Amino acid sequence: MNFSPAIEDLIQALRCLPGVGPKSAQRMTLHLLERDRAGADNLAAALLDAVNKVDHCQRCRNFTELDICEICIDPRRDTSIICVVETPADVLAVEMSGSFKGIYYVLMGHLSPIDGIGPEEIGLDRFHRRVVEEGVSEVILATNPTVEGEATAYYLIDLLQGDGVKVSRIAHGVPLGGELEYVDGSTLAHALTGRRQVE
Amino acid sequence: MRVKLQPAFVLHSRPYRDSSQILDVLTAEYGRLALVAKGSRRSRRGGSAGAILQPFIPLLVSFSGRSEMKTLVASEMASNPLALGGDRLFSAMYLNELMVRLLHHHDPHPVLFVAYADTLRALNDEGCQLHAQLRRFEFTLLCELGFGFELAQEGGSGEAVTDDGWYGFDADYGLVHLGSPSNGQRAAFPGSDLKLMAAGEFGEPVKSTAKRLLRLALAQHLGDKPIKSRDLFRRT
Repeated sequence: MNFSPAIEDLIQALRCLPGVGPKSAQRMTLHLLERDRAGADNLAAALLDAVNKVDHCQRCRNFTELDICEICIDPRRDTSIICVVETPADVLAVEMSGSFKGIYYVLMGHLSPIDGIGPEEIGLDRFHRRVVEEGVSEVILATNPTVEGEATAYYLIDLLQGDGVKVSRIAHGVPLGGELEYVDGSTLAHALTGRRQVE
Repeated sequence: MRVKLQPAFVLHSRPYRDSSQILDVLTAEYGRLALVAKGSRRSRRGGSAGAILQPFIPLLVSFSGRSEMKTLVASEMASNPLALGGDRLFSAMYLNELMVRLLHHHDPHPVLFVAYADTLRALNDEGCQLHAQLRRFEFTLLCELGFGFELAQEGGSGEAVTDDGWYGFDADYGLVHLGSPSNGQRAAFPGSDLKLMAAGEFGEPVKSTAKRLLRLALAQHLGDKPIKSRDLFRRT
């Protein structure tokens, strides 16, 4: 049996979400139409609102409705320390840790030549100009510990060398509450080479 | 088909569904393959389940499946991970991009697999001659793909390359003798360098010749799309 075109369209549209297949999309559609018309109205309005209003912050490229995001204009934050991350989700993750009081720069991706993403596509040169112009004192590279994240970090290290900026890379190692026996060899190798003297 | 403990390297990976990945791997006996690694992005005790499913880590993979895309059943590290950084990491990424662009799936290249593993091991050494390693690998890759050409003799006539001769490159014939000596031509290569390369020398003495010649030879097969990894080598 086929649904009417409007229902089919909605089912198809919902499938753009990650992890939503035909069956879940159908369930969501029928739920909204059968039981939660008000919720559907809200969802539609919120979606439109977000798509129209949310853009990238002009300074850190994170998502925001303002020209410059709340973190960047917060006077309590130290603007001389910039933490470079790959995605907006990473900003949230670092914020949740509650241990960083500087500002961010969101690359919106990482260097991945095979996918056609080079330094220009993620705006690394623009970031470099900003670091130089604003007299930033420290750049913390918090890209992912994957090959692409490492490549992005190395590229930035090379770019920032000679600018008198302190560049640091977040530590990689054993997770809290983890067991050494289950930690893979490459992580352990990192943990050992990056070991710290106990004072 | 069920394959156990096959030596392999991940060339590229992309996220698939919520917690899985599709891996593009180079195996020793089965060539380049696409593998689904189910649940490899989920976190596990002591880190993520797919932490070792990264490029440049020598792996032993077990996979099964009847369709074009196989399913990864198990994976373990075959030897110690490499510590590549800076230009050596970018070079290794360049090798991967070349192979993803040029190799077909399910086309076994055991010789290339060994050459790739050797090149990575050489790149792991901080003092290695990057360009020599890259040029040697590029030449092996061309030969493995069936696009190899003789370095010590002309393609058309079969005459030996002479030390004072100048040679051009033709995609169909290989090296062709150029009548007049080079007048600043980019695509002219001195015979003395070509003979050194034929003897296995890809290092400093033939640096510029080897780079220009192999880039020209590879360009014939790469098409219009540029190799993006070259952008990573920032030269000021």
